[in-house]
Parts: sequence; structure tokens; C-alpha cells
Amino acid sequence: MDDERRSGAPDDPIASVLETFREAVEAGVSSRGEFERLKGRFLGREKGLVPALFSGVKDIPPAERGGFGARANAVKREIVEAIGRLSDDVARREAMSRERAAAVDVTLPGRRPRTGALHPLTIVRRRVEEIFLRMGYSIADGPEIENDFHNFEALNFPPEHPARDTQDTFFLQMPPEAEAGRREANPESDLEDRAPRSPLLLRTHTSPVQIREMRQRGAPLRMIMPGRVYRKDEVDATHSPVFHQVEALVVDKGISLADLKGTVETFLSELFGAGTKARFIPTFFPFVEPGADVHMTCIFCRGAGCRKCKGSGWIEIMGAGCVHPNVLVRAGIDPETYTGFAFGGGIDRIALLLYGFPDLRLLFEGDERFLGQYAGRLLGDPA
Amino acid sequence: MKFSLEWIGEFLGGLPSADRARALLDQGGLPVESVEETARGPVLDVEITPNRPDAMSHLGLARELSALMPTPLAPPGPDFAIPAASGDPIESLASVVIAVPRLCRRFGALLLRGVADAPAPERVRARLAAIGSHSISAPVDATNYALWAVGQPLHAFDFEKLRGGVVVVRRARRGETLVTLDGVERRLEASDVVVADAERAVSLAGIMGGLDTAVTKDTRHVLLEAAWWDPVAIRRTARRLGMHTDASHRFERGADIAAIPNALNLAANLILASAGGALCPGLLDARGLPFKNRRAALRLSRLRLVAGDPSLTLEVAADVLARLGFEPEVRGRRISVRVPLRRHDVRIEDDLVEEVLRVHGYDRLPSRVPPSLAPGRHLEPRRIVEDSLSDGAAAAGLYETVGYPFVDRETSERAYAPWLEAAGMGRSIRVANPLDETRRELRTTLLPGLLDALSANARHGRPDAALFEVGRAFGRADGDPENPPSLESRRFAFALAGNVRSHWSAPGPTRAYDFFDAKGTVEKVVEPWIAAEDLCWRPAEMEAFARGAAAWVETSVGVLGVVGLVSRSERERRSLPENVFAGELLIERIPSRPRMARFAPYSTFPSVEVDLSFAHPRALAWEEIAAFVRERALTDLESVRVADRYEGKNVPGDQTKTTVRLTFRSPDRTLTSDVVNREKDGLAAALRDRFGVTF
Repeated sequence: MDDERRSGAPDDPIASVLETFREAVEAGVSSRGEFERLKGRFLGREKGLVPALFSGVKDIPPAERGGFGARANAVKREIVEAIGRLSDDVARREAMSRERAAAVDVTLPGRRPRTGALHPLTIVRRRVEEIFLRMGYSIADGPEIENDFHNFEALNFPPEHPARDTQDTFFLQMPPEAEAGRREANPESDLEDRAPRSPLLLRTHTSPVQIREMRQRGAPLRMIMPGRVYRKDEVDATHSPVFHQVEALVVDKGISLADLKGTVETFLSELFGAGTKARFIPTFFPFVEPGADVHMTCIFCRGAGCRKCKGSGWIEIMGAGCVHPNVLVRAGIDPETYTGFAFGGGIDRIALLLYGFPDLRLLFEGDERFLGQYAGRLLGDPA
Repeated sequence: MKFSLEWIGEFLGGLPSADRARALLDQGGLPVESVEETARGPVLDVEITPNRPDAMSHLGLARELSALMPTPLAPPGPDFAIPAASGDPIESLASVVIAVPRLCRRFGALLLRGVADAPAPERVRARLAAIGSHSISAPVDATNYALWAVGQPLHAFDFEKLRGGVVVVRRARRGETLVTLDGVERRLEASDVVVADAERAVSLAGIMGGLDTAVTKDTRHVLLEAAWWDPVAIRRTARRLGMHTDASHRFERGADIAAIPNALNLAANLILASAGGALCPGLLDARGLPFKNRRAALRLSRLRLVAGDPSLTLEVAADVLARLGFEPEVRGRRISVRVPLRRHDVRIEDDLVEEVLRVHGYDRLPSRVPPSLAPGRHLEPRRIVEDSLSDGAAAAGLYETVGYPFVDRETSERAYAPWLEAAGMGRSIRVANPLDETRRELRTTLLPGLLDALSANARHGRPDAALFEVGRAFGRADGDPENPPSLESRRFAFALAGNVRSHWSAPGPTRAYDFFDAKGTVEKVVEPWIAAEDLCWRPAEMEAFARGAAAWVETSVGVLGVVGLVSRSERERRSLPENVFAGELLIERIPSRPRMARFAPYSTFPSVEVDLSFAHPRALAWEEIAAFVRERALTDLESVRVADRYEGKNVPGDQTKTTVRLTFRSPDRTLTSDVVNREKDGLAAALRDRFGVTF
């Protein structure tokens, strides 16, 4: 019927407006401007084709006016709705092109909040501290300037003993007037009296903290002692006159080598990854008896044998042993009631193993290219 | 130390393979560093700790392997037999006097007469060569061989050069000199022990013989010495003279007094075998203070306690101790032993525990973790402060460094004198034996080291660097008592150089660091412990910092630190860029009680901001203005901040223009601009009256 009407009544203004509108929509609008023009052409109050239809009603014979009005209204509704849809389309397309214009190159670098970094030695020390805190150890700290009593004598290094040669010591010089007062110390006087007068040095290990803590707190105790130590070693790739140690000390009733073994194994597998094994080679440290060197599964070859471990599958990592009864006695603890173990190693060496840098000197050069490599990442678990 | 497996085998009933020997010696605590294949078979490089001088010989390692394998020791070979002797007895030709019986417990001597100049027997030279020792002559090689065979150092004298046919063991005389074998003239002291003839010192006891009385190719009669020397005396002399020999290495650690006759017989047999001659009958065997074998006991309960292994038995322990030569006797639940004289290291019960366990094998002991009782904590609260300062600095963009503490105070620290004074470290501590003579003192401040690190970064193409260090400085205050409470001080130090790091989105030159970056770094890192408003800043002056751009930062307990623009002289000697800011804090002066976070209620009504701009002399510090504003207690004033500082057009030369931003907010109503403007106008008038500022 539509066709008939269109063909049968080519002069029908309503059909013609609708036709024109459909053609215009068919042609499409590419911008908000074109859309506004189209909208004005049909719905514009002054010259719009649709309002014109209604103003032409007066020329229609009154009998046909009713039908004409109904049809015109229907067409108007259709056009208004279509224009509404078109408007949404245009808005959507505009938004899309705005977004397209604002598209970012997502491969450009992000603006990271600018942070610095903790030193690798600090990261490793904190990791070690965290492992021990979880196992119920406290963290102790002591002076770096020590006296001979705490650094050697109380740890069962007799004066003039060759064991002292293994720890080349920096001795300190006090001004003459202060030194004079110190020298009058009577070597026969008891330990309490002698300690404050014994020669000053830079501690060669963290073990003097054991003595200080045991003397201050007594037994039982369970603690670790991280810190900086000093030995008169020329600087090279594996030696530094300044380095860092951490050692653990447990004194309690019934503590044994078996406890030492289990604790060392637990610590090493927490730090270096599950599957890290430990083996204990008897050795001599004056302050432990029995004493042991701790070797662990070579982290480079996981025990298969490589150049780094000289083919053995093991690398040396720590010293360990049961606290020597003489040390307990000097710390005021009865070695018949209490026994203990201690073990410790170099934080610098642990860092070198975990991070795989080639030279200890890098730790002390303050080069940002070195210092920036470790923050924000986990310690490597090679397993 | 190098040992030939074939030579060890001479003393063992059955020879293990190199791999087996290595594994056993590792287990026994004499770890093998490496095994080298030589023409004479495998040579082991064994690490021997200072407590085990008894193992520093082929016989010593054979004893260990015998216990570890186990296998019996071989009976002594013909080289150890007492050699046939002829002619006048030694007593008629020579005598020994020990004047220091505590320092020389035994002095044994043999005399060989009519010795020819000849090389040592081939097997002797070959064994010495295998362990890297060169052959010299029959007598010298014989003494060397005996040392490596049984661990007893010997010395051979040209007997004809010993004046008076007498050997005296005594202390050196003050001013006495001796030219030792190495050709060096040694000035002796009364604490040194020497072997002398009737007139003069002829050997530095236990360390090195004298050149004058040494055997040469012309020597006809050889006096062989084997003695036991006091470890401490030998060590003192060797250290003072900077000498270290195979002999001193053993005597310092304690030789085996019982090995003396064996060692002498071995050396004499070897000389006689190749250089001929005749041994005079008799051994001169002079004694000092006697040694007794120590006795010790091991309780089964102690063994089980220390091992943590209740399955260990007395039988296991007694078996091990017997293999090691301790002659154990089981008495009830304990074992009584006689410690061999060579084992100076075994003194107490736990030493026996170690002997048993190392031979038994540490690997065979159980392993367990002691149960955890209470949570751990930091015993030193300042360590928590240190960690928080590090975290704050790292979060603020700084990299942590670690520096060496050895400095030359005169060149690196003088410019910081007023700061060091304030820090209680006016005087530094010297190292008596420094590594580097140009760095004799311990640092009293971390700052120069940080600037050096900045300089290294600049050289490597990173002129913009930001570093910090948490560490200790060492020193004492001027006029301190002789034993000051502490000789060290915990420090936090930082340094900022060049420009704030840039990003591609903001091209062009980026902002240079300025004083307020440095000040803000301090405020930020101490924030958990000290509120920024409790820090007081006042101008500081010292050579290390540029004039007018440095400040003391103080708290209620005094100077906390110093912060400023690094002076031109400090920069230029390190080739640092123009703007470098640095500061150092005394961690001990930070309260170790943290500031606790508490909820503070806030208003839900909107705020009103007004600005007030005025010019005033530069000398009028912001702090004074801010304090004055706060004192006025304006109604509903929430905050007062500096919004801008301006100098230039329309501001007189000695003046600066400050814009103050006042934020008002009421807890219970929305403020109107009338109310706020009234407060602002009142403040403006007050500022004019009080400071003469102009608007």
C-alpha cells in the first residue's frame, strides 16, 4: 500500500518528506555539523520540512485534513525518533574519535614513583633477621670498638696464641695520657677488673657480642648478632678490611650438636632455598668445642660439582660449634647446667652467593649502577 | 700443607686411595684442599688448624688415618732404628746446659763425625721434591726430611765452629746480635731464647740457625739438635722479628716432646747412609721442667648431652679414644684417659667429646630444631631507628652505600670541626697498625666518604646521584675522661648531587636539588620519631658548607645534625657539580620511642583559603612570621603555610615578598568570606604593627 501510495500519489508531500529524510539518512552524517544541518532541514522551526507539512494543512480540503494530520504526525514521530538515534550515533562516534586521538603509546616508559634502594648487604641482613625472628631469636648489637678481653680473651683465645693470627687485628692507639692510665692494669687482677683496661681494637668478629649478652642477660638465651667487623686484610675481590657477619647463639638446658645441625639446616634452606643441604666438618675455633665448618650444597651447580666448588658439590659457608665451656664460665654461666651452640658467617659472602656479583669491592664503592640492582626484587631462590 | 700419600703409607698398615684419604681427612677435621698427581703419586694439600701441630707431618696424618679408617699403624721402619755408633762417646766431646728450664723442656743432640759432602739419598730427595721442598745437602735434607716425616724440627750445626764444645740454652743478652741463615743480622732482646756456644749466640731457638755455625760442604762433624721450645716465647720472638719458618710454625703451636729421639735417629741414619761418617755413641738428652701426661675423663652422660645422641655408647667412645692413642680405661659410666704429650689441644672433657665425635662422624649424629619458646625482638632499640631511617631515605629516592672508616683526618675532616665538636667527637682515634699509612685515623663523620662516593658516580657518568649511609663514626670529645662512655656514634648521613632525576614526559633541564630537598629529607626520615615541628633549624657556619646555606638541626636535647650546601673547596677537590647538599644526623639523639599514631577528628565542613602577600626584610625568618601568626590564634584557622617567596621587580633589594596561605575551617558550620576576611585583615594589621611589613 505504501508503494501504491508513493507511486499512485507522487505529489504526496508527506511521503516525499519521508522519502527525502530516508535518503538523507542513507547518505549518512560524518560530523556533528552535518547532523545539525540535517536536523535543521527537517525539524527547523522556521524552514524545516516537517513543520512545513503542518503549515500546509490549511491548503488541504477540510475532509482530508484529519487523515493528513494523522499521517503527518506519524511521519514526524518517525523522523524525531530517527534523529534522536542519529544524535546518539554521532555522539558515540565523536567520543570514539576523541579517544582515538588521545590514545597513548602504551609501550612508552611509565612514570615510576622515584625511590632509592637499600644496600644489598642491608637487604640480606634483614632477610636473615626475619628468618631468625620467626624462629624466636632476638637481635643483639654491640660496639665495633672492642677490647682484647671481649674480642679474644673471654672467647678462649689465650694471649700469644697462634689462633689470633687467623684474625689479623687492627689495634687502636689512644692518646698518651689515656693510654698511661690503661697500661697500669695488673695482669693478675680478675677478669672484671681487667676487661675495661684491656687493649682496644676494631672487633674482628661479632662473637664479642656473645660475651656481652651472656654476661648481661645470663642463660637461657637465643639471639643473633649481625654487624660490621674489621680485619687487616688487603682489599681484593674476596677480601675487604671491612665486612659483615651474622652469628647465632643459643644457650639453654640440653642444647646439643644435634640442635646445631637442625638449626643450621633450617636456616640455610630458608635462605638459599629448599633442598639446600649442610654438612659439618670438624674444625677448630677457640670459642667452640666441638667445632665445625659448615659446608652447603653448591648453589652454582646444586651439588653436581663445578669450577666454583672445585668439583666437590659443596661450598664453605659458616663456622659453628657448641659453646666452649671456658666461654660459658667467663660469661658467668655454669657449663654443667647449660650448654649452647653458636654459628655464623659473612653477610657479604652470602650476598655475593645470592646475587652472583663477582667482586666484594663493589659493595663499598657507592656506585648507583650497583646499588640500584637489588631493590624491589626478592632474594634469589635458585631452587 | 702438602703431604705425599705414598710417604704417609710408610706409617700405615694399609694405604687408602686418594679419594678415600680425602673423605676421611675431611671427616676428621683435616680437610684436603686439593689433590695433585705427581711422579711420586698423589700429593694432598691439607688445611691444618693451629690446634693440631701433631698432624703437621706424614706420621701425624698417618695416625689420623689409622684412627679414621681404622687400620693399625705400621711398625717403625729401619730408618728409625738406633744407628750403630763408634768412637768416643758424645758426653766426652760436647755438653748441653739449659739455663731456661721453663722455656726449653728438652734438648737432644747427636754428633756425627767425619761426614763427607754428599747429596741425600735419592728416596729422600724424591719425597722432598714431591712436597715441593728443594734438596741442599745430606745433613740439611736429613733435618728437613725428619721434620716432614715426624713433625719435629731439627737443626744441624757445624760442630767445629761451636766454640768450647758446649751448648748453652739461655736468654739473649741485651744488645747481642746474630746473623741468621738468611744472612740478616738480628738484634736480640732479653726475651729471646738462643742456643749459644761458650761465647756467643749461634741459633735463634726454634726459629732459625746462625749463619756462622751452619753446615757447609766443608763441614766434617755435624751436631744434630732436636729440642722442645715454649710456644709463647717462640711466637713473641718470631713476631717481633717478622720471621716465620717451618720450625717456628710448629714450635709456636706446640711440638711433640716425645718425638725428639726418633727424629734424631732418623736424621742420623739418613746422613750416615749417604755422607758416611760415624755416629758418636750416646744421645745428649738435657731436660728442662718435666711434662706429665694430662689425665682427663669423659662421662657417657656428657657425651650424649653434647652430641644430642642418646644412642652413643661407652664402647664406641673407648674404641675411638684407643685408636687415637689415649689409652682409655672404662670405669663405670665414664672413661678415663691419658692424653698423649703431642695433643696439647686436648684439655677438658668436651675436647674428648670432639675427638670421639669427629672420628665417629658428625654426619652420623641426629639433627633437630630446638622448639621455639617466645617471639624474638630487637634488643637494641636504636637498631630499629636505624632501619627506619634507611627505609625513609630509600623511599625518598636515595641509594644506600657502605663506606670504609679509615681516613686521614687532616685532609678529609678538618672542614667539619664545628660539627664534630657538637657531635662530641673533637678528637679522633688512631689505628696503631693501619693498612695504609695515609689513612691512619678512624672516621669521625660519614660525610667525606659519601662525597667521595658521589665523586666516583660523577666520574662514571652519573653526576646526579643521591646516596645515604647508616654507620658508625669513632672518636672522643676534647678533654674527655680516660675511659669515655663510648668511643663510637651511630650516624645517618646523606648527600644529593646535581638534579632531581627526570622523566621523558617533562623534557628539558630538570630542577636542581636545593636546600629544601636536603631539609625535607631530614624531616622525612626522622618523621616516625620526631615531628617536623619539633625540629629547630638555625644557620650554621663551617668550612665544609657554603656560607649562608647550612643549618644546624636541633631538638629539645640539643644538636641533632647538620645540613647544607657543600662548600666550593669540598666540591672542587672531588670534581663535584655545583649543587651538592649533604647532611648528617646523630642517631643516639633521636628518641628511640616512636611517635604513636592516634586518630584526630576533623571537620566535615568546607574550608576557605585566603592569601596574604607582603614585603619584609630578608632577615625576618619565616619561622618568626609563622610563630607570630600561630600566636594570634585566629578563629577557625586550620593551617598557615608559605605559598610563595618572590624577589625581583617591585620588591626593594634587601626585601623579600612572602605570600602566606591561610586555611580556615570551622568544626560546626560553613564559613562565610566576611568572617574570614575580617580575620585576615586583622592579621594584616598586626603584621604591619609587629614587623613593619608592607602590602
